[in-house]
Amino acid sequence: MLLNVENLSLSLKKDGSYLKILDDVSFQVEKGETLGIVGESGCGKSMTALSIMRLLPDKAKLEGKVNLEKKEITALSKKQLEKIRGNQISMIFQDPLTSLNPLHSVGKQIGEALYLHTELSKIERKQRVVHLLKEVGLPRADEIVNEYPHQLSGGMRQRVMIAIAMACNPRLLICDEPTTALDVTVQAQILDLMNKLKQMNDMGIIMITHDLGVVAEVCDRVIVMYAGKVVEQGMAEELFANPKHPYTIGLMQSIPKLGERKNQLGSIPGTVPSPKNMPLGCRFADRCNKAMDICRGKQPSTVEVGPNHTAACWLYEEKGVGRYDASRGERSEATFHH
Amino acid sequence: MDAIQYISKRLLLMIPILFGISVLTFFISHTIPGDPARLILGPKADPVIIKELQEKMGLNDPVYVQYGRYVSGILQGDLGNSTYTQQAVVNDLKRYFPATLELTLFSMIITVLVGIPFGIISANKKDKIPDQITRFAALIGVAMPAFWLGIILLLFFYLQLGVLPGAGRLDTWVSPPAHITGMYTIDALLTGNWPVFQSAFIHLILPGITQAAVTIGMITRMTRSSMLEVLRSDYVRTAYAKGGSQNRVLYGHALQNGMMPILTLIGMTFGHSLGGSVLVESVFSWPGLGKYAVNAITYLDFPAVMGVTLLIAVLFIFVNLIIDIFYQVIDPRLKYE
Amino acid sequence: MTLLEVKDLKQHFTINKGFLGKKTTVKAVDGVSFSVNEGETLGIVGESGCGKSSLGRSILRLIEPTSGEIKYKGKNITDLKGKDLKDLRKEMQIVFQDPFASLNPRNTVRDILEAPLIIHGVGNRKQRLEMIENLIGKIGLRKEQLSNFPHEFSGGQRQRIGIARALTLNPKLIIADEPVSALDVSVQSQVLNLMSSLQEEFGLSYVFISHDLSVVQHISDRVAVMYLGKIVELAEVDELYSNPQHPYTKALLSAVPVPDPKQKRDRIILQGDLPSPVNQPTGCTFHTRCPMATAECKTIVPELREKSFGHWTACIHV
Repeated sequence: MLLNVENLSLSLKKDGSYLKILDDVSFQVEKGETLGIVGESGCGKSMTALSIMRLLPDKAKLEGKVNLEKKEITALSKKQLEKIRGNQISMIFQDPLTSLNPLHSVGKQIGEALYLHTELSKIERKQRVVHLLKEVGLPRADEIVNEYPHQLSGGMRQRVMIAIAMACNPRLLICDEPTTALDVTVQAQILDLMNKLKQMNDMGIIMITHDLGVVAEVCDRVIVMYAGKVVEQGMAEELFANPKHPYTIGLMQSIPKLGERKNQLGSIPGTVPSPKNMPLGCRFADRCNKAMDICRGKQPSTVEVGPNHTAACWLYEEKGVGRYDASRGERSEATFHH
Repeated sequence: MDAIQYISKRLLLMIPILFGISVLTFFISHTIPGDPARLILGPKADPVIIKELQEKMGLNDPVYVQYGRYVSGILQGDLGNSTYTQQAVVNDLKRYFPATLELTLFSMIITVLVGIPFGIISANKKDKIPDQITRFAALIGVAMPAFWLGIILLLFFYLQLGVLPGAGRLDTWVSPPAHITGMYTIDALLTGNWPVFQSAFIHLILPGITQAAVTIGMITRMTRSSMLEVLRSDYVRTAYAKGGSQNRVLYGHALQNGMMPILTLIGMTFGHSLGGSVLVESVFSWPGLGKYAVNAITYLDFPAVMGVTLLIAVLFIFVNLIIDIFYQVIDPRLKYE
Repeated sequence: MTLLEVKDLKQHFTINKGFLGKKTTVKAVDGVSFSVNEGETLGIVGESGCGKSSLGRSILRLIEPTSGEIKYKGKNITDLKGKDLKDLRKEMQIVFQDPFASLNPRNTVRDILEAPLIIHGVGNRKQRLEMIENLIGKIGLRKEQLSNFPHEFSGGQRQRIGIARALTLNPKLIIADEPVSALDVSVQSQVLNLMSSLQEEFGLSYVFISHDLSVVQHISDRVAVMYLGKIVELAEVDELYSNPQHPYTKALLSAVPVPDPKQKRDRIILQGDLPSPVNQPTGCTFHTRCPMATAECKTIVPELREKSFGHWTACIHV
């Protein structure tokens, strides 16, 4: 197991009080695996990523454990974290223009990661930077080294971001909506590149996106988040073929699909609850067309709903093949007999 | 476009600006009621003599003729004669301006050395105690009248403790260094005259601090808000994500980006200090341009007023040109556009 | 019946670079022709910088077109001024992408919805409020919410308000410029469904501008694909999506990620990026990225031709 996130909860201070942004989030990433995290804005998917990187605001309260291989990230000091970031875990962000320093050349920005984490000499670093630029598919790598972000197109900038992230051959790459700011033809190029890089290095990837199409395109396994909680988890093929949680089902029905025309799209009524007044029970209950009494009163636990496929929903609680303890990644004995 | 082309284009652009300024000040000062000839000769003078002097000074010619005469003078390096000091305005400026420039440069150095670091600390420790203290101090600096601070400093360091001198640019027993730049500290250093440098330097301290108090406040506040904005930006997050330490991110990424608006403000305050040091110069009997200008206005000394105005305008434009060149150096997005 | 007809519309912008710098022309819209029938939705799809937003704005004369002709109900409106232009605005309205930026934060929803009615002198206050209350129910908000301010609503609700504002004057044509791009998918579908039902109820025509090919397919009757200021293909929606002719449309369609992991397709990945609209390539502007480009493409500017019934393509190789 490459990454193990156990019972992660995050509270951020806003207007004097703490708001719970993530609530008991657990999942794993294996070597060479691409895990998709899907959800709508405010579901906590970006905050999950920033929690793993521990790039959180000062007044954030983080509970739970994050382990990268044998190392417990949540227990590291500032200094130790600096050695891991950009080296063993890298991150790519949504908007490549604002994510690059406008005053530094491309070469300097990629070279910085090498400077921080390797013993390479200046000349070696420069060679490696040019090599990286070629690897992420940039033409004229020798010239681009000396160019600045504003001279590049959106797609090229995102390639530069990827080169920064890949500079030290990370174990885990976190991509936060990496193609959302890009045009669809450029998005296709970037997704293509990421699939190639994944095959080359044996790293794990976390792909955070709101776009189910992107998930289907690149992810092996998917977790669906809603209002700070994981509501469903499963292998991509299984989850797309057999979505179980009413939220996942609603989400899939609300997207128009290329090549099939319907008069009406499915939709989910209402809006996401605010972290200020989270419902006591299931957070989706108010928007759910299958909600029962129990849903409003008590939070559902995570149950197995198919092969390596779990959902947190009362619908499956009784019929479920057994409870699934996501934090340990195994079935718990006690409830297996249901 | 390369640097030389850019600078020469900017210098060329100065011409219409200077022309505009000269026209404006010339016509404003010539439409102010008041007769310089009468002022020179006094209230009881013979009308015939007044008329003669008016004739001699060219005051009866149409305004545009007077203006033409003035401009052709400027082009030959002649700003006319001061009616009050009876000296060539150019010579007066040469005498008074270095004092002001020296004081302004000194106060700007204090401003930058104090204001920017405190602004950075304030932003980095947002809402914590160092930030609260800095913000409070900056607010006081901006709100406090300069002349009042000057008087308080004088009372304390000069009268009470007697550790710093109170007035003028040098101690009375020290003679000024050879005139090279006219700025005593620099001239003393250039000629290796250590005692004179010491004397000139300690004389700069109180007026320098007084003048800097306001600008430190402004620069600190600007640095703080600019840095706060930059620290929220995505590329700062990227720098942390690369594994950069706080200091590295702060000084390697954020500061450079945050400098942009600060540079503009430095340029503005520099120009402003040059022209607006009258009060500080009065409190510390500093023989500078401010005092000269006040006298010139009081005695309707048009050539002197215009000389000062033009000089300050040229300097203002020049300082802004330097700031713009800094921008070009720092920001690759601007490359001499 | 044809409601809107656009002929050879051009929208060029001139940029001055600096004080003594050179003037450059950006051809945002460069000779676009199409028509919209009553009750129909024409989708306009393309990537950023293709000129689709400028096109929407110049149809409404929010920006003055450089040249070309716009006909509304058979009447040339390209040169309308003053009161005539104001009357025209009653018939055509626009819905913008960012519902928050386009609603005045200091006004209540009631003020926002009443403003167009006041400007056009519709009814007295009582009648106006009645109309607004009637409308607010149709877009799925409650009467009590009329007194609220834009920031009290979610993104989807704000876009409903933006749509309601466009509808107050009972227009025939609505130009929707990326109306659902800022919204989450579950909310996006709510707004799309709302737009469809309003279209039926009021007999509206839409020009639906979007970068999202799936959304455009869902809502449109006919679709125009734009590239660098020109329409490269225009056809009935099913025809265009099932039988794309232009190499750009083909690439665009194959680039859309499909939410089905089992469906692994061979996609056409275009090389390079969109050329800058300032320095447009010669001939066919797509030749720099086109997998089918030949030498002729660099010189011949392809015309938009009807290659089969109702299916227009601008490519010499089709």
